Amino acid sequence: MLDEEKVAFFLASRLIARGNKGTLALTIMIIAMVFVNLIFLPSIISGVVVLFNQQTIDYSYGNLVIEPRSNQIYIENVDQLQQKITRIPGVVASSPRYTAGATIVHKGKSTTPLLYAINPDDEKQVLKIYTKIISGDYLSPGDTDQIVIGYQLAGNKDEKADRIPSLGGVDVGQTVDVTFSNGVTRQYRIKGIINSNSFSVDSNAYITKNELESVLGISNRARQILVRTQTTGNEEAMRTTLMTYGVQEKIWTWEEKSADFLASIVGSFDIINLIGNIVSLIIAVVVIFIVIFINTVYRRKQIGILKAIGIDRSIIIKSYIFQALFIFFCGTLAGGVLLLLVLQYLTASPLVFPGGPVAPVLDTFLVLRAIASLLAVSLIAGYVPSWLTTNEDILSAIRG
Amino acid sequence: MIKGRDLFKIYGKGTVEVRALDGVSVQIDRGEFIGVMGASGSGKSTLLHLFGLLDRPTSGSLSIDGIDVGMLDERGRTLFRLQRLGYVFQDYALVPELTAEENVYLPSMVRGMTSRECSRVCGEILTLVGLRDRRHHFPGEMSGGEQQRVAIARALVNKPSIILADEPCANLDTQNSRNILELIKRLNKELGQTIVMVSHEEWHKKYFDRIIYMSDGKILTDDHQENGHLTEPV
Repeated sequence: MLDEEKVAFFLASRLIARGNKGTLALTIMIIAMVFVNLIFLPSIISGVVVLFNQQTIDYSYGNLVIEPRSNQIYIENVDQLQQKITRIPGVVASSPRYTAGATIVHKGKSTTPLLYAINPDDEKQVLKIYTKIISGDYLSPGDTDQIVIGYQLAGNKDEKADRIPSLGGVDVGQTVDVTFSNGVTRQYRIKGIINSNSFSVDSNAYITKNELESVLGISNRARQILVRTQTTGNEEAMRTTLMTYGVQEKIWTWEEKSADFLASIVGSFDIINLIGNIVSLIIAVVVIFIVIFINTVYRRKQIGILKAIGIDRSIIIKSYIFQALFIFFCGTLAGGVLLLLVLQYLTASPLVFPGGPVAPVLDTFLVLRAIASLLAVSLIAGYVPSWLTTNEDILSAIRG
Repeated sequence: MIKGRDLFKIYGKGTVEVRALDGVSVQIDRGEFIGVMGASGSGKSTLLHLFGLLDRPTSGSLSIDGIDVGMLDERGRTLFRLQRLGYVFQDYALVPELTAEENVYLPSMVRGMTSRECSRVCGEILTLVGLRDRRHHFPGEMSGGEQQRVAIARALVNKPSIILADEPCANLDTQNSRNILELIKRLNKELGQTIVMVSHEEWHKKYFDRIIYMSDGKILTDDHQENGHLTEPV
């Protein structure tokens, strides 16, 4: 260590060790809280994103979504294509689907949800919607006059409780009239109600693929094929593999399909997080600044005397920077311990969000960013007040 | 050693101008023990501040050890104070969080001495001022006289050629004042350092080799003495 730094460290260590412990502990505690605040909210946001991603895969898209080629409405020869896809290494299962617009009416209440037509057995291999039946049963392959509807679509007896235009609180066993885009109207018995906590799933209705094909007079087609792969995270590679095996339809990853929605959620959270972080950092700057400033003003005369006996100004400034760094180090350490305790608690007892339980996700980059921000803040808050006080001429400082 | 010529220190401007020093010329030789005396506002502390490089004259020249200190920048002045000057303040001015030993060896640390060297030199000096046994005590645990002796030890630690003392006995009782003055006198004789001390106590005169009386920013008299008797007019 250089001589100047050695003296500055010596002064700082003595002032810390023999200074006011209460003030020091309080300051360290505030920095610890700021550190927790810098990481806590982003880790919750990461948890929400992880939850949303998993829900998107499990209830909406699987890992990959195959859609018709350009200028085509349907995927043709879907049975053969499905057989081919299912045999490709890395693919667990696939599920062809139709999506159709339809008007559903129950006792005068009418709504136009998205209607999915599925092969129930295939769908069970790809999505987990079937596990979210809260009343009645899921569809069976041979069902023709049965419909499964989402919780939001079923609605409530009291309209005020509905988040979308609903069927007014229909229940399993009741019937609804469904009018398709070609004008055909059929009556269906509600077989089950789904509550997946995913709004986009719980607003839909589901019938079997065979039933819709009979209504529309088509067969061996689909609007989408959802694909479940063995691992999540290698969707890009799996897309290339599918193309290599001759799949010429458009292939999307689940991330691409949900990109806009995810971006809007994360974007909103990011703004909240940014404001929170700025406020936290300002608090940190102000607290350290005030502590160092009061300290230097209180020791104004002493600083003047140190300068008078030949201690260079830079040594005095460095000694206060060392003190600020000590506060930063202890604050970060205490904040880290506090954060781990909070995270452990929340991992054991996750927060319940509308989409499901959210456990915070700790990101290394986030932690490093928080440490770097606090370090920068500490350096500034240590430097500026000590610079201001040591800038005063010696006699004015000594006279107080 | 110290050579000041036509030193002026003027505060304020125009009609509210205050001449703290009004054309002071003085020469102080190596090894002298000088008392600068005078009433409040006579300019004695201002003169000491200029000698201690704590302030700059409005005009005039000042050289110490042959160096024109007016030419030094702030860092140069700090280094000069560290290496060549020792300053003793009226109110001891010790760092309360440092022990007596730490207060004393702080300036020598800045000069790059190792901890072992600092400790050795510090031990010698604290022995010289009679405080070796109290070296681990904090200023708050010591009497005013003891604190002032620590401050003197701190001023001596870098073996400066000049010690400047600004009313070092002002906060002490008569007995402690006498002890401090005898200590300073002894250090002057044993170590041969030049000592310039500001005082307004008439009974301090007997300790000085030379007495400069100041009034209204000017030197009124400048007399050498031996054993309390004048030796030659200056």
